[in-house]
Amino acid sequence: MTRKSAEARLLSRVLRIGLVLVVGGQILWSLRPAPGQAFSQAGEQGRALYEASCSTCHGLQAEGTVNGPSLQGSGSAAVSFMLTSGRMPLAAPGDQPTRQPPKFDDEQIDAIVAYLAEIAPGGPPIPTVDTSQGSLAEGSALFLDNCSGCHSAAGVGDSVGGGQIAPNLMPATATQIGEAARIGPGLMPVFDEDNLSEQDLNSIAAYLHWLRDNGDEGGLQLGRVGAVAEGLVAFVVGLGLLFLVVRLTGSKV
Amino acid sequence: MSRPDRVVAGSFVVAILAAFGLFFVYLRGGQTQLEGALLFLTLGGIGVGLLVWAKRLMPQIVDETQSRHHAPVAEQEQQEAAETVMGGVDELKRRTFLSRLLVGAAGALGLAALFPIRSLGQVPGDTPFFTKWKRGSRLVDVGGNVVTTDTLNVDSFTTVFPEGSVGSADSQAVLIKVEPDLLQLPADRAEGAPEGLVCYSKVCTHAGCPLGLYLAADHELRCPCHQSTFNVLNGAKPVYGPAPRPLPQLLIEVDDDGSLVAKGDFTEPVGPAFWNITDGPP
Amino acid sequence: MISKRLVEGVDDRLDASSFIARNLKKVFPDHWSFMLGELALYSFILLILTGTFLAMFYVASPDQITYRGPYEPLQGRSVSLAYNSVLHLTFEVRAGLVMRQTHHWSALVFMAAIVAHMLRVFFTGAFRKPREMSWLLGVGLVVSGIGAGFTGYSLPDDLLSGVGLRIAYSIAQSIPFVGNWLASVFFGGEFPGTALLPRLLALHIFIIPLAILGLMSAHLAIVWHQTHTQFKGPDRTNETVTGTPVWPKFALKSVGLGFVTFGVLTLLGGLFQINPVWFYGPYVPYSGPSPSQPDWYAGWLEGLLRLWPNWEFTIFGVTIGELFLPAIVVPGIMFTLLAAWPFLEARFSGDRGWHNFAQKPREAPLRSGLGAAAVALMVVLFLAGSNDVLAKYLQIEVDTFNTVLRWSAFVLPVAAGVATFLVCRDLRDRPRSPIARPEAMTVRRTTAGGFEELHEPRAGAAADDEARAP
Repeated sequence: MTRKSAEARLLSRVLRIGLVLVVGGQILWSLRPAPGQAFSQAGEQGRALYEASCSTCHGLQAEGTVNGPSLQGSGSAAVSFMLTSGRMPLAAPGDQPTRQPPKFDDEQIDAIVAYLAEIAPGGPPIPTVDTSQGSLAEGSALFLDNCSGCHSAAGVGDSVGGGQIAPNLMPATATQIGEAARIGPGLMPVFDEDNLSEQDLNSIAAYLHWLRDNGDEGGLQLGRVGAVAEGLVAFVVGLGLLFLVVRLTGSKV
Repeated sequence: MSRPDRVVAGSFVVAILAAFGLFFVYLRGGQTQLEGALLFLTLGGIGVGLLVWAKRLMPQIVDETQSRHHAPVAEQEQQEAAETVMGGVDELKRRTFLSRLLVGAAGALGLAALFPIRSLGQVPGDTPFFTKWKRGSRLVDVGGNVVTTDTLNVDSFTTVFPEGSVGSADSQAVLIKVEPDLLQLPADRAEGAPEGLVCYSKVCTHAGCPLGLYLAADHELRCPCHQSTFNVLNGAKPVYGPAPRPLPQLLIEVDDDGSLVAKGDFTEPVGPAFWNITDGPP
Repeated sequence: MISKRLVEGVDDRLDASSFIARNLKKVFPDHWSFMLGELALYSFILLILTGTFLAMFYVASPDQITYRGPYEPLQGRSVSLAYNSVLHLTFEVRAGLVMRQTHHWSALVFMAAIVAHMLRVFFTGAFRKPREMSWLLGVGLVVSGIGAGFTGYSLPDDLLSGVGLRIAYSIAQSIPFVGNWLASVFFGGEFPGTALLPRLLALHIFIIPLAILGLMSAHLAIVWHQTHTQFKGPDRTNETVTGTPVWPKFALKSVGLGFVTFGVLTLLGGLFQINPVWFYGPYVPYSGPSPSQPDWYAGWLEGLLRLWPNWEFTIFGVTIGELFLPAIVVPGIMFTLLAAWPFLEARFSGDRGWHNFAQKPREAPLRSGLGAAAVALMVVLFLAGSNDVLAKYLQIEVDTFNTVLRWSAFVLPVAAGVATFLVCRDLRDRPRSPIARPEAMTVRRTTAGGFEELHEPRAGAAADDEARAP
């Protein structure tokens, strides 16, 4: 080996180590914990997601802006509900939140929920809703008394005025049903533990999930909206078919 | 077999097979959709068979023209008919006094015949003016549980009844909790809405439906039937829809043990108007 | 089965030979639009057949019982015997649900067919002298049909129909002086009262069907006796009727149509769910689901109630409830106008002639325009009655929709009426295009070597001239 190549090898070794140190340092630097907070990967992920997708309207400290309300005290139930049902993030401020495919996966949602629990503590926690504990009979009674006025007798939803539509509940998960009851999203009132207990929520969710696959012994359900759809079918299918028969049977002069 | 022949035969065969199918389905316990479909085939098969038979297998029966037999009625016949009828009437009318008495008797009988309507049921009396709420009636929910100041959170609502009358149609009320400083009630009403808990009749003043919708963020009670909407902050005045009058308020107060009790009956008669609603109870 | 001996035997005893012969040979025009009334007739027959079955199971009692049937969500709930009997029929009686649903679909189609038939009679002027009585009987049938439907769907004592009964009670209450009294007496006290279900049953299975049978029989008897109207055509006159003889062809066609009607209605009854009372639960006075609408034929009234402004006034101490105008006065005016129409038209047109021809709508532009305006108004009212459901599906704000409908209630009838009037008048007065009925033409070769045309009078020219005659 020549003296020159030995020097070259040393230099390249130093450079390589230096490169590793610099790049590694950058990586470590970027992973540094936020000032004043314990280092947690989920927390960082949550913060990053929140700042990227939510803070424009809800503020960096969840204090609210002109475009969106404060999330202080709104509770993990609210965050979870809005994100798991895809209502948030909104495409544009001022849009009506409606159910969409969620923009984040479960892990990301958990991260955002955890992050907001830190910067905006308080409010209803995510309820535990277990449909296997629920009673169908109680659930149907509770649902008819408390919920059917807006969401219809079979939970398919209806217009309620104020620019809003109480949504169809068939796609909702048990947790989402509980979350919505606890937080009262949009125009919906709030149902806390004294109003609807945990067991009540279990029963209501059990009933709504039962409705997904049951109750249509009579045939095609026609949207389960009642007389409006039935009247339309009576004219279009009933009278319509008979009208065709009559046209074919009778003469045209 | 000609084509229409085959269609008719086929229809009747379908009908026969479907009828047997019905028999089979019924024996097996029945199934609504199968029953409907098989009935369609049975009845429709007979029907289509008959229609095609009439329309295509009777070509020799063609349209005919007939007289409608409305000859202008012979003057004489018409005269005779009119005379026969009027003859009898005139004979009765000849006895003016007696026929007038007959009319009187018939009229009196008609009036008397109306009276059994009264037997059908209760007269309203003063019941439309009162409900079962009295001073000191405790508020209970649908399950009979006493309602306290802790029961509701802000933006919550629940249906309440006087204790002992759960499910009462005229006494039903809705209890709502709002932020206390949002209430805009006059002084005498504000006293009956402690801690932001305000209670109104649940019977809509339009057509009597129960007000099942509470739009919490707008503080409005809405009716599912015809969309009457009431502002709960200012005494349930109607803000939209066909309801003409505000909802009667139930003034409540907090008892020593935190439970809610009524201070009396509703401020006005509940429900839609009737002709003497402004008169008050007799 | 039907043998000559049987016919002779009956005829011998009843002395009916001329009656039988004359009536079986009677002819009926068979234009397709004349069959709409039959659809109503056959729907009614199916209503009676299925209704008889239902009556074997229904219990008209408000007394409470604990539900112990197979429908899980209502297990252990306190329900009325009436509601329980309907659930029992639905879930436990073989063919119970198909009978119940067929019955309800038949009611909806019965009313739809009546309306279609009524519109046909109106727009073809078939109510003119001598057929005014048939028209009056028909209006009676419309009103009875609505009554039968309302009492019928209120029988199960479910949450939705119970809310409808509350509205009916309130409407009765709004009548000045006697309203509160009538409502309380008929229901058996303050709402919900104690006496209602058995009375609804008496109305639904006895009083109203009797009225419908009576009105329908008189209606059919008059049509039969006066012979049916027909459209103008070649070789048709006002004094004759052209059509198919009753026996066997017309009867077969009609019975065939009847069976097809039964088939379509049972198809609906088995395949399309209607009035699923198990979702609504038993009636309780403190709950109300949303949306809540009555059956379609009361939808116009629902629309009136939703759109009507909240006017309530007190005159000399008498409060005229807000419901009185839209629910009593306006429908009263509507049905009175409807019933009086033949006489009103005769008076204002001065036409008191005897008419056996059905007109094409274009032949009476003013009537058609007014009819179109009325239909347009009814359409707006039906849309208003469904406003929250429509708003949900169209994703629009329901209160704004109401405002649009209120304007439409004035604008649309005027627009529809004027447009229809102008179109009808134009079609009527415009001469037929020469290519509508081509001339028959003969071309003859002349001996000189050329051709000459021989023009025949246009076929159908006479009919065209007649059609244009007022």
